[in-house]
Amino acid sequence: MARNSPKPSEKIIYFLVILLGILILYTDINTKKFVGIKNNLYSFQISSSFIFNRAIIESFSEFIEIFKSKEKLIIENNLLKDKLEESYLKNYIISKENSFFTDHNSLINSLRENRLNGDFFYAKLRSVDPNMFSCCDKHRLFLEIIDEEDQSFEESVVLNSTGLVGQIIDSKSYQEVMLLTDIKSSIPLIDSTGNFYCNAKGGGKAGYIFCTFSQLVWTEKHEINDPFFSSGLGGIYPKNIKIGHIASINKIDSTSTVLKIELINDPLKDNLFGVLKM
Amino acid sequence: MTSFIKKLILILFVCYLDLRLAAVLSQIYVILPLTFLTYLLYLYKSNNNIGPFESFFTGLFIDLITNTYLGHNAILFCFASYVVNTYVNTFKLFSYLQICIFFGLSSSAFVGFSQLIVNLYNFSYLTLLISTIFNIVFCLLIAIISVYFPGLFGRRI
Repeated sequence: MARNSPKPSEKIIYFLVILLGILILYTDINTKKFVGIKNNLYSFQISSSFIFNRAIIESFSEFIEIFKSKEKLIIENNLLKDKLEESYLKNYIISKENSFFTDHNSLINSLRENRLNGDFFYAKLRSVDPNMFSCCDKHRLFLEIIDEEDQSFEESVVLNSTGLVGQIIDSKSYQEVMLLTDIKSSIPLIDSTGNFYCNAKGGGKAGYIFCTFSQLVWTEKHEINDPFFSSGLGGIYPKNIKIGHIASINKIDSTSTVLKIELINDPLKDNLFGVLKM
Repeated sequence: MTSFIKKLILILFVCYLDLRLAAVLSQIYVILPLTFLTYLLYLYKSNNNIGPFESFFTGLFIDLITNTYLGHNAILFCFASYVVNTYVNTFKLFSYLQICIFFGLSSSAFVGFSQLIVNLYNFSYLTLLISTIFNIVFCLLIAIISVYFPGLFGRRI
C-alpha cells in the first residue's frame, strides 16, 4: 500500500504534538512536576520485580538447590565410602604386613604415598557377574588399576579388606581376576600345625574351595573349623594369609579325602581392591 | 491487541538491550541509540504512515521506562516519524548506502539532542563524531547482513 506524505493538516498536528512534547520536557526539567508519576512507576517496577524474584526465580532456584545439595550429598557419600574401603584395605594390609612386605619402612612410605612399595596398586571394580559367581565354574572380576603405569599385572595377587581374592590372569584394557573359587584356580595351603600341605582348587561354588589329598601320604587328623593359611609355595600368593577354615570333611574312598574349606574373603564386599605384584 | 502487546514487548526488549550495550560502548566513546534506530526501521518498513500520536506516546513510554526527562524521546520520535513519513517515497530512489547514511546521521542527531538535554555540561564532540561513524557503519553492517544473509532477518530490509 502506498504511503503519502503528511498533508498540511497533519503537519499542524505534528507541530502541535512536538510543541506539547517540548512543553512537557520543559516542565519536567524546570519544575520536576512529573517526579511523583516517575516515582510511582519505579516503585511499581521495584515491587513487581521483587515479587517476580520472590515468587518465581527464588522458588525455582531453591528447587534447583535442593537437587544440587542432594547430588552433592550423594557424591560426598560415595567419596566417604571409597575412603572407608581404602582404610579397610590399608588396615588389612598393615595387619598382614609381615606377609606382604619384608621391610617395615617400605610399608610406611607406601601408605604415605597412597601406593604400597611401588608394587602395590589400588584398583576399582569395573564389572562382575554375580549370577556367574553364584552358579557357574568361571568366577571372574574385572578391575581397573588406579594411577596405572604401563606395565603388566599378570600373576599379581588381588586382595580386598576381607582377604585374598584371587590373581590377575589377563592384563589388557581391564585386569581380569580369576577368583579362588574359579574352577581353574589353585592355591597352595598349609594348616595351623604347619605339617599339612595341599593345593586347594576352586569348585565353582561361591565361598568354598576344595582340598583333595591322599590319606596314605598325609596322616594328620583334621577337624571342622580348623583354619587354613596360604603356604606361599606357588610363588604367586604370599604365605601365612588366612584363607578359611574347614567346613566339611568328605572321605571319597579309603585313600582320598576332600576338605571343603570355607573362605573368609568375600570378593563382592568392596569396590576397592589391592593389587600386589609379588 | 496482539500487535500492541508485541510492540510493547519489543520496546522493552530493545530498551533493555540498549541499556546493556550502552554500558559497554560508553567505554569507547560511542553511543548507539538502538531504541531510536529500531523505531526508525519500524517507521521506514511500516506499510502505513505512523501518526504523530503513536510516535509521541511510544516516546513517552520509553521516557518513563528509561528514566529520562519526559518528552525527550517523545519529541524526537515524533520528529523522526514526520521526517520518515515525508520522505518515504523519496527513499525508494535511494541506494542502501544512502539510506544507511541517513539512518546513521539521524541517530547521531538523536545522540546530539539527547546529550544537549541530558548531559549538557559534559557534551563531547569526540563522542558525537565517533558515534556518528559507528552508527553509520552499524547501519551498513545490518544492511549488508540482511542483503547477503536474508535468512537471518526473515526477509531483506
